Amino acid sequence: MRDDLKVGVFLCECGGNISDTIDLDRVKSELDVEFIGQFENLCSLNGRKIIRDAIFDHDLDRVVVAACSPISHEKTFQDYVKPLNPYLMDMANIREQCSWVHSDKDLATHKAISLINASIEKVKQSEAVDPIYCQTPDEVAVIGGGIAGMNAALSLAKQGTRVTLIEQSASIGGHMAKIGKVFSPVKIAEECGMCLLNPILNELVWNENITVLTNTKVIEAERRAGTYNLILEKSPRYVDTEKCISCGKCSEVCEVEVPNDWNDNLSNRKAIYRPFGQSYPEAYVIDMENCTKCSNCVKVCNMRAIKLRGKPERIPLQVGSIIVATGHKLFDMEKRPEYGYTRYDDVITQSELGRITGVNGPTKGKLLKSNGEEPKRVVMIQCVGSRDEKPDGHRYCSKICCTVALKNANIIKHKYPDTDVLICYTDVRTPGMFEKYYKHTQENEVRFLRGRPGEVVKKGDNFIVRTEDTLKGEFVEIEADMVVLSTAMEPSKGTEEIAEILNVGITEDGFIKESHPKIKPVATDVQGIFVCGTAHEPKDITDSIMQATAAASKVSEYNYGGVEIEPFIAEINTERCTVCGECIERCKYKSMSIQNDEIYIDPMSCTGCGKCLVGCRHRAITVNGNIDEKIMSTIKGVLSNKKEGQRMILVFLDNIGYTAADNIGVNRLSYPESIHIIKVISVNRVRPKHIRYALDNGADGVFIGEFPGDLMYDEVERKIQGVKNRIEELGEDPERVTFSKVYIPYFSGLARKFTEFDSKIAELDSD
Amino acid sequence: MKNVPTEDILLFRSCLVSVEYPGVEASTKFVFDKLGVDYEISDKQTCCTGLGHYSDVFSQIDTTAIGARNFRIARELKRPNLVMMCATCYAINKKSVKLLNKKDDLRNHINELFTENGLEHLTYEKDDLKPTENIFHVVDILYARKDEIKNHVKYDLSGYKIATHHGCHYCKVHYEDTIGGVRDPNIMDEIIAECGCKTIGWYDHKRATCGTGFRQRYSNPDLSFTATADKMNAIDDEDVDILVHLCPNCHIQFDRYQHLIAEREGRNFRAVHLNIAQFLAIAMGGDFDKVIGVKAHTVPVDSVIKDLKEIEK
Amino acid sequence: MTTQRITDSPIDFAEKIIEDVKNSKEEGVLKCVQCGMCTSTCPAARHSNYNPRNIIERVLEGDETILEDDNIWNCFYCYTCHSVCPVGNSVCEVNQILKQIAIENGIGYDKLYEYMGFADSYFTAAIGAIPERFFTDIDRDVPGWWDFRQNLDEIRTELELNPPLMPSDDVIDEVSRILTITGFKEKIEKIRSTEEEDK
Repeated sequence: MRDDLKVGVFLCECGGNISDTIDLDRVKSELDVEFIGQFENLCSLNGRKIIRDAIFDHDLDRVVVAACSPISHEKTFQDYVKPLNPYLMDMANIREQCSWVHSDKDLATHKAISLINASIEKVKQSEAVDPIYCQTPDEVAVIGGGIAGMNAALSLAKQGTRVTLIEQSASIGGHMAKIGKVFSPVKIAEECGMCLLNPILNELVWNENITVLTNTKVIEAERRAGTYNLILEKSPRYVDTEKCISCGKCSEVCEVEVPNDWNDNLSNRKAIYRPFGQSYPEAYVIDMENCTKCSNCVKVCNMRAIKLRGKPERIPLQVGSIIVATGHKLFDMEKRPEYGYTRYDDVITQSELGRITGVNGPTKGKLLKSNGEEPKRVVMIQCVGSRDEKPDGHRYCSKICCTVALKNANIIKHKYPDTDVLICYTDVRTPGMFEKYYKHTQENEVRFLRGRPGEVVKKGDNFIVRTEDTLKGEFVEIEADMVVLSTAMEPSKGTEEIAEILNVGITEDGFIKESHPKIKPVATDVQGIFVCGTAHEPKDITDSIMQATAAASKVSEYNYGGVEIEPFIAEINTERCTVCGECIERCKYKSMSIQNDEIYIDPMSCTGCGKCLVGCRHRAITVNGNIDEKIMSTIKGVLSNKKEGQRMILVFLDNIGYTAADNIGVNRLSYPESIHIIKVISVNRVRPKHIRYALDNGADGVFIGEFPGDLMYDEVERKIQGVKNRIEELGEDPERVTFSKVYIPYFSGLARKFTEFDSKIAELDSD
Repeated sequence: MKNVPTEDILLFRSCLVSVEYPGVEASTKFVFDKLGVDYEISDKQTCCTGLGHYSDVFSQIDTTAIGARNFRIARELKRPNLVMMCATCYAINKKSVKLLNKKDDLRNHINELFTENGLEHLTYEKDDLKPTENIFHVVDILYARKDEIKNHVKYDLSGYKIATHHGCHYCKVHYEDTIGGVRDPNIMDEIIAECGCKTIGWYDHKRATCGTGFRQRYSNPDLSFTATADKMNAIDDEDVDILVHLCPNCHIQFDRYQHLIAEREGRNFRAVHLNIAQFLAIAMGGDFDKVIGVKAHTVPVDSVIKDLKEIEK
Repeated sequence: MTTQRITDSPIDFAEKIIEDVKNSKEEGVLKCVQCGMCTSTCPAARHSNYNPRNIIERVLEGDETILEDDNIWNCFYCYTCHSVCPVGNSVCEVNQILKQIAIENGIGYDKLYEYMGFADSYFTAAIGAIPERFFTDIDRDVPGWWDFRQNLDEIRTELELNPPLMPSDDVIDEVSRILTITGFKEKIEKIRSTEEEDK
């Protein structure tokens, strides 16, 4: 059947680049196809007419373009073969991988014929397929209502996207609402954090594209073709936000007093309360864990806004993309008891100091010890829980603590110039403009001691900070009456939970992992889920906002561009599938899931690598595009004109390896003519049967290359080892198969490896 | 919590316990019997080399080869769980097991020495013992059985002010395995709580060394006693009656030298010093002479603990 | 001023320590950032000129004169630095390794003379014991200790402790064979003869 197909071969001279080395007349004479033509520059605009006319005139079913690398011009020729389906065309790379790397005309011509034969056989296996277009719903869920989540939501909303902002606490605002002052690297001064936050909050509240859900958590998530079905749970607030006018009468009559977590428990609040002055929604809320249901509040509320009964409500939400902005929490000081935080009231964290110096804090901005006196000496200890590999510590630097300490030290110095502030540091990390702020802080007479304190104890009225002054090489005991600990940032509980629910990858430190730290800094390992802010890693407000807007713009790429997907992805035969779930476990791209009792493959994340095929006991999975057959036919084709005594080495490379191989030609290096490169969508698709077939039918060696950064690298390496073992069992020499790392810039190394492998095979042949 | 065995135990004899505070051994046996812990003592086992090792006379190979012999004895008795009364024995044996398992060169070297010299019966195979599964201190076992303790407590010691001194070589050497904290060690405080007593918890220098410093006590006594004085002063500032120990070396430093350090500091220190097993044995009704071994103590135990009051059941 | 010559390789000293059998911290010593937390918690640093941070500083500089520095003998082996070091180094172990290197090179012998009694009792009787040469000091410092030691057997009998303190001959024989083949015996003899010479 397929042999009846009419194939046309178009040979490109490439202005001599090809025809100077390869004898195209001989090529033409040795090919057996329906049509064969030779042209000077096939990629030029008149190439389109030449190809189209030949297709009509000769009624061609398939086209092979023997020219440059498909990496240069595959898209061009896919377009030129219209009205033929673009996937019915294949390119034989006789320039980068033949005329540019070989100088012996006879051998180069023979190799060109092999490569064209390979393409002819391959294209016969091709079928007309259409790319898959995915249009994801353009609604977006942003999880976490801190500064990162708010900015991401606002940016999307301003671009016309509908956003649901999901916040688990009673108000949006996050950490920034409570840190008091923030530091501006340009002004070298501290500014009111709330004054910067409030306009953003107001803008967000008034934006019609944004729905804010507070007291709400994501509890379930399911993904289908770029659509996420989320189930949210909204806890009751017990106060109707529509009716409440925030008059505060309810709070006045409430009899229950509990520590106010918004003030880091440094003051008390009532069981019915407003989280903070500018909180949104602008309404009170009841903390039902502490409420005694005395009903005093209900009685005084003129608006009849309070109901003491309520149940959690489940809300389904369908979105196309998700931005995770679930933030951080601070290091638990019980893990470092030697600093006395749990024993002494006046050993506090930087966060608590922020509340104490905040005008809306427990002391209305006055720096006071627990006994009401002003401290005479404040000692700050850096790197508490950060840069610490001991149990419960974090190996990373929390990045912001140096600047936070400088900021709080300056705030103290502005108001209390007589209070001595000493910062005990290991390194002061103030890159870029922050260095100027460090100098400014020194000018403000803040003192610095290089040493990491071992412990804080209380002797009489004072604390004693025990440390070494490492620049003097001297053990010192420093008296202080207030000690401030710069605690590490670590992933919040919400971050841990959402990673689990959405099945996104996390780092060894528990933060949400980006899909590539350099080039994909906001994408996660799950298609359509993005991350920003401190859920990703420790960072400051500026970086959080930048990442938030970057995440929003990535979402817009989806929303406005749609996604065109190569159709060569896995498909399930539901008749055969028993939903054992093996493929879900195997898939490194997290493409597979169970939905409605069937295996569902997400076309957006499937790469067609075929790993699932191997694990499927019921052979219920196929990958579209006859890939197995295409590889087999390519091998057949390339070996079809092997001469007696000719050495044939087949090299399988994916896109990265193939680009590296092209680079050898582009840079006019050379390698032996025995090397024949076959491009595959994933080297994982080269199966043991292919390798064995090749070796049994004339290939003298098989070389498989893979970029070590590929998710499948380890997998392929293991597989090749298995193939080698099998070959050995069959009495063949396993050295005929080799697996190698490839890198695009390291093309000269690849050329050398080809040459070495060729010599080795030559040695084996001569033995 | 890690899995702590309460059977197949070789109770590892300590040189310092044997000749300085034999009551610690008697009390450990007394308490283990009450708590149903299965143990045995071997007359073949020898000292861990502790004092020699930490005075730098024994090299790591000397110590580990001696260790390998003791480990063989434990395995032959089918008692692979070594339980130490002394913090130094605990740290040294655990380190030797770790080294023998992890460092192939060392293990092969020692095994070669054994086989070439007619001692092949002592060779150690990789993972014969596991550092976290076979090597324990008595406090680990007591902690594992702590729920049992209250069923055997006869006397109420809650009227005394109690503090704990956790030996460095229990807490800090193999800190990943330490139960109850390293930076603020609390394993003994938790065990003592099972007798109905609340310790004072944290005090200044709680996690600091006793000051023995091995060679420091003998060759550098000024430095040694100055370090001990830090801790003794802090304990006296808290008005402590009983300081509870888990290591005979610390025990010596505090009990034997309290008088001397008091003179140096010009203070009158009054705390008595008990090993955790002695403390439990007293609470469980052990005889002062036949179990606790108070005659070995320099600071008379009955200077503080007298008129024991039976617990109300 | 010191000149670092192009042929100097200061890191070799640290590498030597890393390779020592005692080292349990792998590359820990190389990761030191001189934060001083070791010194901040060190009893010897508190009361003497010993400085654990400086020990590592000198090791990383390749300063082998440290082997002859009396200060290294002030370490208490309390392992506090080992248990808190934020980068996973252990000055306590490095210190022990330095001393072993010193002893191998015959440098620290005089520091061991006082402890030869322990070596002897272990080698000849398989007992670990406080060297007798300290007994006078102990008797002076600890009232009643000598009498107690005289009555030890009685006290042990009252406590019903067995087996006896003295190991059997076959145990002693095995232990002294082990300590002969590890090189312990030879080392002790060498130290002993140096001590005689010093006298």
